Amino acid sequence: MKYSNDINKISKIITLVLIVGVITFGNLSCKKIDDEKSTRLATESTNWKTFEDSRANLLSIYGLLRSATVADNAHWLMGDLRKGDFTATTRSDLKAIINGDLKAESPVVNRITNWRAFYAAINAASLFIERSSEIVKLDPRYTPLNNNVDIAQARMLRAFAYFYMVRIWGDVPLVTSSHDGQFITPPRTNQATVLSYCTNELLAAAKVVPFRYGGTDPILPGLYYGVPWNGWNGIIFGRLSAYILLAHVAAWQGDYLNVENYAKFVMDNVPTQSGVDEAFNLEYIDMGNLTENVPNSPFAFKRATLMVGFPFEQTTGLSTANGHIEQLTLAKPYVPKEIPEMFVTKDSILKIFTSPLDLRFSIDPSTGNYRTNYFYNFQSQRPIFNKIKCFGSSITRSDYMLFSSSLVFSRLEEITLLRAEALAVLNKTSDAIAYLNQASALRGISYAPAPGQNTPENAIDAIFAERRRELMGEGWRWYDIVRYNRIKKSNGIFITKGNTPLTFAQFEAQGGIYWPVSRDVISANPSITQYPYWQ
Amino acid sequence: MVKLSSTVSIVFFLLLFGLSNAQANNNYTNTLTFKHLVLQQDTSKKDSTKKSVTIDTIGQMVRASQKFKTVRDTINVRTSAPVPNLSLQQIIKGNLAGVYVQESNGEPGTEQSIIVQGASNIMFSKKDNYALQPAIYLNGVPLVAENPFAFDVQRYDYNRIGPATNLLSQIDIDNIQSIAVVKDPFELAKLGPNAANGAIYITTKNARDGKRDISLNSYFGFVTAPSTSTVNGVYENNFRKPFYQKYATEENYANSASYLKDSTNTAYFGPSNWNKQYYSSSPTFSADLGITGGNDRANFRFYGAGTKNAGNADKTSIDRYNLFFGINMAPFSWLTVSSSVNAVRLDRTRNKSLRDRFAESRYIPDLTSPLAPNADNYSAFLNETDKDVDINKTSIVNGNISLRATVGPVILSSSLMVDYNEGIRDYFIPSTLQAGVSYISNYFGFSQRVLVNNTAEYTYKFNDNNKIDFGLGQSIQGDTYKYNYTRAYNGPNDFVKILKVEGDPTKDNYLNTYSNSEFYIFRYIDKERNNLFSVNASAKYSYKDVLTVSALVRRDGSSNGQPDSRWVTTPAFNATYNLKSQFLKDSKTINELSLSAGWGRTLRLFQDDKFAAGPQYKSESGWFEEPTIPGYGGILGINRPYSSGFIGYGISLPYADRTNISLSGSFLNGRITGGLSVYNRNDKNQVIGIPVPVETGYSQNYQSGLDVNNKGIELSANALVINRPKALSWSTSINASYNKNKVVALPGGLQELTVGTDRITVGQSLGSYWLYTNQGIYNNQSEIPAGRNFNGIAIKVGDPNWKDYNGDNRIDEKDKVSTGDRAPKVVGGWGNSLTYKNFDLNFNLIFALGQKAINQYQASRYDFVNSEAGNDINSVKEIQSWQIFDNQKNYPIYNPWSSVDAYRADQDLFLEDASYLKLRSLTLGYDFGKSNIFKKSGTPFRKAFLYVTAMNVFTITKFSGQDPELVNYNGIYDGANLPIPRTFVLGFKLDL
Repeated sequence: MKYSNDINKISKIITLVLIVGVITFGNLSCKKIDDEKSTRLATESTNWKTFEDSRANLLSIYGLLRSATVADNAHWLMGDLRKGDFTATTRSDLKAIINGDLKAESPVVNRITNWRAFYAAINAASLFIERSSEIVKLDPRYTPLNNNVDIAQARMLRAFAYFYMVRIWGDVPLVTSSHDGQFITPPRTNQATVLSYCTNELLAAAKVVPFRYGGTDPILPGLYYGVPWNGWNGIIFGRLSAYILLAHVAAWQGDYLNVENYAKFVMDNVPTQSGVDEAFNLEYIDMGNLTENVPNSPFAFKRATLMVGFPFEQTTGLSTANGHIEQLTLAKPYVPKEIPEMFVTKDSILKIFTSPLDLRFSIDPSTGNYRTNYFYNFQSQRPIFNKIKCFGSSITRSDYMLFSSSLVFSRLEEITLLRAEALAVLNKTSDAIAYLNQASALRGISYAPAPGQNTPENAIDAIFAERRRELMGEGWRWYDIVRYNRIKKSNGIFITKGNTPLTFAQFEAQGGIYWPVSRDVISANPSITQYPYWQ
Repeated sequence: MVKLSSTVSIVFFLLLFGLSNAQANNNYTNTLTFKHLVLQQDTSKKDSTKKSVTIDTIGQMVRASQKFKTVRDTINVRTSAPVPNLSLQQIIKGNLAGVYVQESNGEPGTEQSIIVQGASNIMFSKKDNYALQPAIYLNGVPLVAENPFAFDVQRYDYNRIGPATNLLSQIDIDNIQSIAVVKDPFELAKLGPNAANGAIYITTKNARDGKRDISLNSYFGFVTAPSTSTVNGVYENNFRKPFYQKYATEENYANSASYLKDSTNTAYFGPSNWNKQYYSSSPTFSADLGITGGNDRANFRFYGAGTKNAGNADKTSIDRYNLFFGINMAPFSWLTVSSSVNAVRLDRTRNKSLRDRFAESRYIPDLTSPLAPNADNYSAFLNETDKDVDINKTSIVNGNISLRATVGPVILSSSLMVDYNEGIRDYFIPSTLQAGVSYISNYFGFSQRVLVNNTAEYTYKFNDNNKIDFGLGQSIQGDTYKYNYTRAYNGPNDFVKILKVEGDPTKDNYLNTYSNSEFYIFRYIDKERNNLFSVNASAKYSYKDVLTVSALVRRDGSSNGQPDSRWVTTPAFNATYNLKSQFLKDSKTINELSLSAGWGRTLRLFQDDKFAAGPQYKSESGWFEEPTIPGYGGILGINRPYSSGFIGYGISLPYADRTNISLSGSFLNGRITGGLSVYNRNDKNQVIGIPVPVETGYSQNYQSGLDVNNKGIELSANALVINRPKALSWSTSINASYNKNKVVALPGGLQELTVGTDRITVGQSLGSYWLYTNQGIYNNQSEIPAGRNFNGIAIKVGDPNWKDYNGDNRIDEKDKVSTGDRAPKVVGGWGNSLTYKNFDLNFNLIFALGQKAINQYQASRYDFVNSEAGNDINSVKEIQSWQIFDNQKNYPIYNPWSSVDAYRADQDLFLEDASYLKLRSLTLGYDFGKSNIFKKSGTPFRKAFLYVTAMNVFTITKFSGQDPELVNYNGIYDGANLPIPRTFVLGFKLDL
């Protein structure tokens, strides 16, 4: 009994010590409560510290701008539909856009008319420009040269975002710093101001960025973030991209002298950038590359031929259902889908593709056979527009509707045609025709004006007709219509609003060439107003 | 660190007690009176003479407080036990005052919502609903819930990724001692921030001394198939005909649904007999065994159960296996050790609906031809679904070990509590079911909570009349949430149903699925941890049995709070005045009467660690349709959270201030008991996203300052109306609670806030809908006011006449009004128990009144033009859409091709009253244990109860859909949820 009592006592003491111990120990260890670092996000104290942070933040600007342009297939809905060549099958929102009824009630229209995603990319770019130099002091691997090049890319992307928005919405608020954590309510800025800002930014960036990253370009020699040029081409923007964008900004402003200057710079430098640093050639693409995903296709792969644009590489898990023209245009037999969401009617095809030699589409007059590179099942009620059909390496048909085509903003054919357009406007008709034919050489056709028809006007018509054919489904049609009408200065009726007929000039003056902004934009910032055409 | 050190300490504990107990056993003859471990009382026996003291101190505290509130806040376990409920939510539905349970899906094992005394925050998405759920305590362990962070990588939030099993399906009524809802401000303050939304406190039957006690319960029964009126393509064509006749153009005719064009196609125009294969009567059964034994030194309880619960549609079911082991030991007179472990396995067979399938695979194939209503076609589809793999396993282990030591006048206790649950889902869809693309997803996720709780209690007596109980408490809680999720598309064939991984450990991509696989793969990994540290001190002054005044102050620190505001001190008070002892000592009619008032503040924790970080960077570069874009150029980028919203500094933790006044009493020798309480709760400083100018790039900015008020009245009464033990007895209990919800303030003094298509307005209920007012149809041009437009689109003949409230001739958001409410105003239940000799008849009615729902099912049916053309998740036509309901409403024939979107769901045309009254259960039983035959034969049965129960017998409602409960968390009825089945079971309960 005594023994057990002793044990009892000892146990009691030990237990008490332990209970007290747990309480104290627990308390001490709980000082650590503040140290629970999240593994899911980066904070102000963990971002902007290393070389890797710089890369992650920079590439995110590209990612955000890519998302802004392709979300809900907006690039094509806004570029290819309005007064365009496509006819919608069942979707009422597509029909509304084609008819210019841009205020139709539809979730998709409401989302694509909200410019927030562009400003997200712009804000990310401004933040990068303001903050990335902090890393130079902290990480010796991140050189000032590298930082300068990165900042120049951010400026280029920000300028591209503004240019892209001006084309859609006209006057847009110009916000040039991050205002991090502040929520300003800027009004619309005159688009002339915005565009000249774009030009200045692009010119400044163009002085800094190399032609090639990670290769032997003397401006920035050596691996770029550890990756050679063939890993970066078609992904990030170099000096040629800057000049292409400059040319487009100038074209939108009607400053064709500068379009020619910038486009000339691009084309003069193409030979020096082709086939170097173990990358694929920067070249005019043949029909295989245009429609069959052979290895130099800018649609299917990251390639130097993707001069301005954003890839969705299948191999890096970037295939998506939404964000590609294929979602709108493909159907059986390319994907398991009964009818496409939109198609080009037989009549339109015949009207657009007039040459029997055109490799994209033509009918052999003797046999009646037709080419299927652009259109499948031409003779059916709904020919499938099958120019772009990317499902990964060289695959052009698939059971699954996840697509990997790039957003191609500009390729060599496009900038060449823009140069031809500039030359034609500048009355250098023969040069214009030469570049037009240079761009269409691999399509089997060539433009030769009939005797007595060799006028700049006819050349312009021919150039825009070729753009319509070559860039079909690449989001250019509406902007080409706008530039064409601006050049033509026609006094004919362009559109009828309600019962009022409008010329193009009147239509443009009322802001009809632009899209209305979503009511979500206006309710969040009442200083934004709608153009008269949309009120 | 926290967790580790605590665990280490507890291991020491276990070693010590293993040792000391063994030694104590050597001296087993030492007969200590065992004061600290006394029997648990079976609530079915009305024996209040013994004091019940139990092992877990929080439980003790709560139960002690329950003593005078039993009438109000607990489940009648005796009448609930014969009802074959699967989940906690089903058990408490309509039976706890102030608690609103919504069983929005009859599919067994799906998530269900509990809201205690009104919602404190918005309920527009499923993630919102997770944040409104109360804390569930099981034997003192605050159960860890699924973290909603997985919704961040989801495109659709119909179901959380993974098994999405209702974790509270683990509660098995046959092992339950009591279920109580804790609403008192003081008690909630004592439970701390976990219980900011209120708490449900569950105590299982536990070990006790005394005679060996064995109970065996079982039931077997069926869920029954509902009666259905099926339709086929003829019906659908007739339905569409008036639209075409009135409005269609040539082109509209040409684009009409192709599957309805060929009336010779027997798939769509033949017999509509899919229902035979879709709905079926299915068995549901359960068996369990509980053994309790031991002596006053050491005793135990074992409980094991197996249950199969089935749905009546789509062959859904869940298998549940429970194991429980509890042990109490008293190695010394001053020390008790008790421990219980509860292990549960839930295996779910989920539905085969197209929507859930596409939402999981995030892949919407061409929907031009929906499932056909003909049985031959439907069985062909079902044959393909047999190739599916859909394994949903949830494993749960929770338990505690508690020590309680009496050291002189001080009682010390320490407990370690653990809750761990993991879910696995392996899912495969063959290519034949998804237009040629097979799909695999694998999910593994766990939630874990470790909690160490220490308390010290000391009572100081001034004299016989005055005493103060002091208490000190401290706890550390660490939560970890994690998941790995892989989606993969387009495998080589339908026989490959797994993703291969690299098996060579020397390779860089060891265990990586990328390398060896022929699938196209997306992977997601997420992990989050958070800690909570709390200390509290309390004092309770008692004057005789007349007055008690309590006060508590606690300090909590949460790692999910911002560093400068994560430590918060909160107080709570309570005073209880026993009116009986003071004024009515001699009253024979009034046996008990007391008035209690309490006020308390409870800190509310963030579920997500993002608020702690302040301005932050995330990988968030996708868009609405593709929310999870994995970076750019093969590199994962980081950027500000533009799409989810900016988080700045200065976001402090929200809190809830509660006031509660209750009057409770017992009359006529306890034959009538009742309680009345009023409450007022202010949930303050809550965080909500405020839309910001989109030119900043952000969709919203999270700001503190959403204040919500809930006030209400709760009434409950029990009465033993007829009490003739030899003949008929009738006891009845009713509870009803009224809640009024109001938004008091929005951040920055805003008066209203638009969230998607919803609006929060100061002064209105959080659950309000925001809708256009429909006043009919414009049948001809003369009725349309000149220039009337809808958001700039001219109104035409065939468009709805929406009320122009502000008279500007333009119908836009300014003409939307807040109306209706998602949450019911009154909820409650009425239970009755009739006994005649050994017969026993119980029935339970439940009701919820005043809530409204949007009938989106009908909206998209009438909007067939857009819903079919959209080819999105809302275009999915399930097999069960080939039926009609008796009380289906008819709506005006608008022009479905109009640009104004005539059948938009945000108009009051589709708003309906979803109030209901249901006969939830009806039980008839006979106790052979009491019958003379058994008594005479000397069988050892204390109880041998044979019963039949019918569940979900009938519903009274004006709602035009299938069932007013089958409305989603956000008030939308989409017709996709499976019906709540009528169930019949035959069972027995043996105690020996």
